[in-house]
This record gives sequence, C-alpha cells and structure tokens, in this order.
Amino acid sequence: MSQVHAEAYLDPGTPEEQSRRAFMANATIVLGTVIGLVIGVPLLAYSVPGKKINELSSEAWSPVDEADWTKLTTSTAPLKISFTRKTTDGYFLPEATSDYVWGVKMSDAQYAKMKAERTDLFPPDATKAEQVPYMDEIFVAGYVIFSSICPHLGCRFAWDDSKNIFFCPCHNSTYNRDGERTGGPAPRGLDPLPLREQSGKAEITWIRYKSSTPDRVVVSYS
Amino acid sequence: MFNWIESRTGFVSMTKNFLTEDVPGGPSYWYVFGSATLFAMILQIVTGIFLTMYYAPSSASAWESTLFIYQKVPFGQFIISLHYWGATAMIALVAMHLVQVAVWGAYKRPRELQWVVGVVLFILTLVLGLTGYLLPWDLNAYFASQVSLNITGAAPIAGPFLQNWLQGGPTMNTLTLNKFFGIHVWLTPLLLILLVAVHLIIFRHNGSAGPPKDDRRALRPGRFWPNQMWMDTMASFVVLLVIVILAILSPAPLDAKADPNNDQFVPSPAWYFMGLYFLLEIFPGQLGQFIGTIVIPTLGVVFLILLPWLDRNPSREIRRRPAAMIVTAIFILIAAGLSIGGQSTVNAKAAARGQTAPTVPGGADAAKIAQEAAAPLPATGSAAGQPGVSGASAAGATVFSNNCSSCHGATGQGTPGAFPPLAGNSAVTAADPKEIIGIVLNGKTGPLNVNGTTYNGTMPPWKSQLKPDEIASVLTYIRSSWGNHASAVSTAQVQAAAK
Repeated sequence: MSQVHAEAYLDPGTPEEQSRRAFMANATIVLGTVIGLVIGVPLLAYSVPGKKINELSSEAWSPVDEADWTKLTTSTAPLKISFTRKTTDGYFLPEATSDYVWGVKMSDAQYAKMKAERTDLFPPDATKAEQVPYMDEIFVAGYVIFSSICPHLGCRFAWDDSKNIFFCPCHNSTYNRDGERTGGPAPRGLDPLPLREQSGKAEITWIRYKSSTPDRVVVSYS
Repeated sequence: MFNWIESRTGFVSMTKNFLTEDVPGGPSYWYVFGSATLFAMILQIVTGIFLTMYYAPSSASAWESTLFIYQKVPFGQFIISLHYWGATAMIALVAMHLVQVAVWGAYKRPRELQWVVGVVLFILTLVLGLTGYLLPWDLNAYFASQVSLNITGAAPIAGPFLQNWLQGGPTMNTLTLNKFFGIHVWLTPLLLILLVAVHLIIFRHNGSAGPPKDDRRALRPGRFWPNQMWMDTMASFVVLLVIVILAILSPAPLDAKADPNNDQFVPSPAWYFMGLYFLLEIFPGQLGQFIGTIVIPTLGVVFLILLPWLDRNPSREIRRRPAAMIVTAIFILIAAGLSIGGQSTVNAKAAARGQTAPTVPGGADAAKIAQEAAAPLPATGSAAGQPGVSGASAAGATVFSNNCSSCHGATGQGTPGAFPPLAGNSAVTAADPKEIIGIVLNGKTGPLNVNGTTYNGTMPPWKSQLKPDEIASVLTYIRSSWGNHASAVSTAQVQAAAK
C-alpha cells in the first residue's frame, strides 16, 4: 500500500493538547462502547425467546377420535388414538392440528403390574413420587395413554405387533406394553398423558416433555 | 486509463501489492487447499444468495418453495445441487487444508493465531452445514434437526437455554426454521467472511509458510502472480468441475414434507456429522450421550485450538516429528472410522425399514402435487381467468353470482336455517357428482341436515332455466371454490343426468 503521510503526528503539541487528545481517545472508546451496547443488548434479548413466545401454549383437554377409541375397547394391542389439538406454530394463527397418542387397554391387574414395573413413574420413595406430574390422571376406566414422542430424542415410535414392543426407528429404543424401557438409549419409560371421561367421551391432555432426562419436565402443551 | 484510476484511488498499486508475493520454494499444487476452500465458500455464497430469491423460510412455505425451485425454476435443481455439493466440497476442502497444515507443521510459531482462526473457520463451516440442513423442511431435515436440538438441550448447564434459543421457543416449529435461516444466511456467512479476511491478513503478515523444510536457505522464492495463482485457479476449476458433475449426476435429494407424526422415518445426519452420530450410538445412556456428543467433540476442538502450544517440537520436518504424525494419523483414522460406522448404522436401519432414498425430489408428496398441477382446469366456455376465483372458470362464477349467490351466499356460506352452505358440504364435494347434478336439475325441498345443522328452505329446479353447459360450469365452480377440491363436472355428465 502507498505510504501514508500524516504530518499532524510529527509534532507532539503542547501538554494541554496531549491531555485533550488522551481524553478524546478514551471518550471515543467509551462512546463507541455505548453505541455498541445500545444496539447490542436489545438485539441479544430480541434473539432469545421471551416469556410470551415460551407461553404460546396452555394446558387443554382434547376429545379423542371416537372410532379409534371404539376399536381400543376391544383391542389387546396398543392402538394409535387420533385427536385434534389447537397448536400455535410461531407467528401463524392458531389452528387445529391432528395428532395421535398411544392408547393401551389395561385391567386393574395389568395396571398393578405396570405400577410395579415402572419405577420411573412410581418411585419407591414417596416424596419423589409426588414430583411425577399428573399421576392421578393416567389410569382412567381401564385405559392408559402414552405420548407418541420418544423420550430419548423426540422421534415418533410405533407399536410392533410381531415383537410386542414399542420401537423407535431413530436410535432403537424399545418399550414394552406398559411403556417400560426394555432396550436402547432412552433415559426413561414412555410418558403417560392425563386422561379423563367427559360425558361418556375420552379426553386427553397433550404434553410435550423434555427429551433425554430421567425426570419429566413439561416443555409445552402444543 | 490505469494511471487515471491509480492517481485517484490507489487501487492499481493495491492490487499489484496484493498479487506480488514470494512463494517460498516456488509455486506448488500443495498450496491450493486454502484457495480452493475460499473458492468453495464464494460458490456457496453466490448460489445461496440466488436460492433466497425463491426460497421462503416458514414451516408453511419452506418445503413448498424448495420443491418449486426443483420443479419450476430454470436450472433450479442444478443450482440447489451446486449448493448441496458445494457444502460437501467446502467441508472436505477445509478438512484437507487443516490436515495439510497439521502435517506440514505450518501452525508453528509465528502462525499460531492463523491456525486458531482456521479452526474457528472450520467450526463455522460445520455450523453452516447444520443450520442449512433444516431449511428444506423435509422429513429428514425435520427429524435430524429435532434429534440434534434435543441433544443440545440435554447438555448440562447451558443446554436447555441453547435449545430454547435455537428453537426460538419451547418446541421446534416455524420459529426454529427462521432462526436457522438467520444464522445460516446472515450471521455465519458474515462471521465467516470477516474471519477469512483476518486469516488472510495474518497470512500476508507472516508470508507463506512454504514446504516443511527446516533449512530455509535452500528455498528459492517463486512468484504468487501469475505462477501460484494459475495453479490455484486450476484447482478451483477442478473443484467446480467435480461439483458440477455431481450436481448433474446425483442431484440434491428432497424428501417428502416434514410430518411430525411420521413414526417410520429413519433420519440421517449429513456425512460430516456421521462420526458424531456414531459416538451417540456407541455411548448409550444419559452419561454416554453426554460423553459422546459433548465431552469428546469439545475435547477434540480444544485439542485442535491448543495444538500450536501442545506441540513443542521446533522442527517442521515430517521425519523429525514422529509423535505429531502418529497423533494426526490417529485423528484421521478415528474420524474416518466413526463416520463409516455411523453411515453403516444408518444404512442398516433404513434397510431394515425398507426406506430408500427419494428418487423424485419431494417423494410421494411431490408426485401428488405434480398430478394436481397437471390435471386440466375445469372445462368451461370462457378461458379468461378471474383473479380470486381459485381454479374455477369465470363462466361458472358468473352463473353462480347471477342465480345462486342470493341464497347460498357469495362465498358459499349459505343462509342459516334456510339454505345450506356449499363450502365444506360433502354433498357438493362427493367424488361422484351425480347427486348434486340431480339437485340442481330437479331442485330439493328440506329439511336437510348439513354438518350438524338443519336447513328448511326450497331449492327450485334449474333444468329449464340453465343450459347443461351452464350447470356444468357452475357445479365445477362450486366444487372447486372456497376450500372445496372436488373434480370438474362435464356438460356430458349433466346431459346424461337430465335424461
């Protein structure tokens, strides 16, 4: 690059000028930092999802598909139960989205067996048991509902009739009919969802739990 | 001319200065990896800019606009495929550049910071790969990103915050797509360009490292321009040629649109994340996931950054650095082994499910869309389209507004209690139009039940008021308007029903 001639720098100037220059140099840095902060801090906050975004969904009961439910009343195998829930996809207007959960018909004896097996849901320690959300709503009128989302990393699993297991294609997690983890990397068993009977019809609450943790932490209701 | 510009800008001497540089030991094809990487980056930026001219980031439009690029945009598939293979080329070239610098010991004093910036550039390139992967919003993009986001969220301390930040909320949705788009298209490329400039400024400050010889006196300098530049250009041309051939012979895949409810699809990471994927496989359990996906990659990156200070050997000669050579070889073998392991795991899983790579871009969804697009528009007299009349003809709309809309409403909404809505009415949209043709021809008297509501009005017969082709066109119109998507009705069908 061509030589820069800067005559102004040859003469150091009077002590007063030097002092003023020192002030201006520091003031420039300070003011520049202020400019950066005025733009930067709001931008950082802007990029972080705030309270209003994180609370786009709220807990709600959704009626399940009646035909699916009728099939479940006579089925020994777990069945997909369709339902429609209100979802809000970011900035889009809320809309009805069809989704499904897994329904399992269970006798009292089968449920007692599930209770004994599922230490992730029914820990022997009573105080810990209280921390499992919605436990008093998971077994209603002989049915248990499991979320269709794999607790490992959020893929969808399916019931394999030939092997009598729930199988997740992503990382080979397997669960038995009670939702107990029987193989693969998942940190907990399947997540039961709240179920209730409302004027003769089954309703469920859709909950998305945090992936990959032994505990169930509610992430969202949509 | 040059003098005129030079005297006013200094650009000519600046360019000369830029091109005038010693190449220790003379120009060599060994020096092309850096410039070839730079070329791949420019290719990605240029093709990326043009892709945004059609691509629309949102969960409702990302996949559709991507498919549009494939199907409708001239050279669309080619440009997408250039970007797709360009990404692979860029990552491969960065990796080769990194390995070469490691083998030649070029990271040693005084080039430690140039190496550190280079490692950061490598990571930024991987960030580009990861964020770009989601943008087509197809099945694979959706589930692979869902998995990587949940892995992020499972990391201790900052994990949950980072997942929330990347997702743009508690769950993965359209905000995730927009966040990834912003990171992929604006943030990372800007950082990349800035750091490439820093990388090059440091390079010019220290000069080219030259071949790995401790005795520098034996190295006669050669010219950068035009000798080395020619080799760099040749290398870039070969890279482009390979990318173009791959783009033509093996276009970028596009799966069916993301469907969160799909429970059969086996997602597959990009090849450059196969190693990480395999670490997740071989370290099961919660602790294993932490070790495999967080601890080991972090240690790897820290090791790379600290390499200039860990390697205290002052020599650059390959035969005098056996330890460094062994470590480099082990690094490459582990990376290759993990990647091959990951790929074969994915292949085995996909084969077990009978899942094949999509042959038609967009899979079954795209085939359906193509079919709908290829279906002829409802047959009617007038060819003039009318804005706002979706898929139906202007003639049918005219018949409707002159004869039907006073009872059934301008938008087919009906009149409560008397005349049923036509929008969303299953009698209107039945696959076989026979019944609805009969109602229009002969009229109907209520009460009748539509969607749970009773209507008790009277529909007059129209067979003496309207001609068969008018009835056909108005039926076609009401069957394809206001959200209805039933087939067209022909004049022949009306005439047959009238007999």
